Amino acid sequence: MDWQRLLVSYLFGFVLLNILLGLMAYMTWFERRVLARMQHRIGPNRTGPFGLLQPIADGIKLLAKEDIVPANADRLVFLVAPVLSFALAPLGAVVIPFGDSVSLFGLEIPLLVADINVAVLYVLALGSVGVYGIILGGYASGNRYSLLGALRSTAQVISYELVLGLSLVGVLILSGSLSLLDIMREQQRSLVIGPLTLPNWYILSQPIAFALFLIAAVAETNRAPFDLPEAETELVAGYFTEYSGFRFSFYFLAEYINMIVISLLAATLFLGGIDGPFADGVWWLVLKALFFLFFYVWLRATLPRFRYDQLMGLAWKVLLPLALLNIAITGLVRLWGIGAL
Amino acid sequence: MSAQVAVFWLLAFVSLLGALGVVVARNPIHSAIGLVVSFINVAAIYLIARAEFLAVVQVIVYAGAVIVLIVFVTMLVHPDDLPEFHGRRPLRVVTGLVLGLALLAEVSAAILARQLAGAPGPWTDQAVAAVGGNTRALGQVLYSDYMLAIQLTALLLLAATIGAIALARPEAVSERLAAARRVLTISLAHPRGVDQPELPPALPGAGDGRFKPAGGGRPIVLARSADEFTEQPAWGEWRTR
Repeated sequence: MDWQRLLVSYLFGFVLLNILLGLMAYMTWFERRVLARMQHRIGPNRTGPFGLLQPIADGIKLLAKEDIVPANADRLVFLVAPVLSFALAPLGAVVIPFGDSVSLFGLEIPLLVADINVAVLYVLALGSVGVYGIILGGYASGNRYSLLGALRSTAQVISYELVLGLSLVGVLILSGSLSLLDIMREQQRSLVIGPLTLPNWYILSQPIAFALFLIAAVAETNRAPFDLPEAETELVAGYFTEYSGFRFSFYFLAEYINMIVISLLAATLFLGGIDGPFADGVWWLVLKALFFLFFYVWLRATLPRFRYDQLMGLAWKVLLPLALLNIAITGLVRLWGIGAL
Repeated sequence: MSAQVAVFWLLAFVSLLGALGVVVARNPIHSAIGLVVSFINVAAIYLIARAEFLAVVQVIVYAGAVIVLIVFVTMLVHPDDLPEFHGRRPLRVVTGLVLGLALLAEVSAAILARQLAGAPGPWTDQAVAAVGGNTRALGQVLYSDYMLAIQLTALLLLAATIGAIALARPEAVSERLAAARRVLTISLAHPRGVDQPELPPALPGAGDGRFKPAGGGRPIVLARSADEFTEQPAWGEWRTR
């Protein structure tokens, strides 16, 4: 029965990837509409009802554009970098559990593509390799603005990755597992504090970690107010200045897919995943992820961009010490809980 | 099993190809890319050996941190200022060769000793499964049997971190201390109530004729760094003046 499981896994992964790509296209529509509302505009409304066909029109336009390679670019690296960025982005979604498991034709099918026992670290590893798309693209363009954008982005992503990883340690200490499935199951239990019975969501027991994760996630995906790498007022467009056509769109798509994946991850790690009132199910996960996506757009509409030294100072002097403090406190509480203190 | 072996050979081949690229490439960035390819393939080989934790950590630490820093620094340096990698430097070639052979000898000795003894190590599949997985087994061994090594490594890293911070400071520590002392000296003669700090001798003084005050009697301001003119302190930063 091994090959059957493998086949089901692959099919599930294929379906998930396609759903993700479709969602990503409509994420751009969602962002433009919401942003327009927040700025007292209407947003795209000419292509189809409510502008719903706009992403498709954009996609066709980008595919039909000329693919320009600058004369002094490092040609091979220039061509490969955006593909790398785009290919790595959706891989994070394969470890997100969309439910427990269903029985189909007498076969127990888990509702996630791969239950890796180091899923949390796997997502972090993907993030750390994803930097290469940006840094190599910026380097290979042979353009100062691109290079500066890439340097900024690398420094930013390395710093905030540290905060992201450390903010998760508290959750890992509480759940005792690196598998997202275990973390989700742990949160389906209930937390009893005196007369209150609350869901055991880690946002309640790890509020500092949640805040740190949220901030680091925004910085990690290079979104406003941390979109320094593409600060158009200073750097033209940052690392993708020289890119055009579908290679440009690869960077664009990667950013949106990263947003979706990290929203799903946040919902799974801190808000209990599929756990919710009335009936557990994948709809709760989708709703929670949608909330985070809305939060991204909301931030973009509200906050001005950080200055570069403020950005790095925030990561190293405020967030990192807070994350370490959170780990120490969580560790002590955990030791006290199991009676080791 | 045969499929696993085939995948192993593929990964090993690509990994070696990447390693070869590191040595052969003339552009240091291309060398770094070759190294990343090699590291990721080695991580995949760890996966085949069911060492998931090791594989992921290999990617995070080596591909994600070490090489990114190498690329980062290389990009900051103008290509013409980089040392010549492929010049005829017999001493370097010989050193590299000797070190490489020594490493090869060490690794083969470790593998052959186990092979010749014919006995498997203490961590068989059953032993790992009994503890509850690879990650758990690794954690337990590291934090019990190898506690001293872990602590020493942590100490070393801490020392390196402090060293890096000390090196990266804009001024030497003694200068900082002197600045702190200056703040404490209250001078009634100066409008700020503080003695004017002495400028380093490297900067030309206002009185030596090369710099004339422009726009009336405004004094020339000499700064050692742009930070002195930043209007707003960065997050978590406090300024002495």
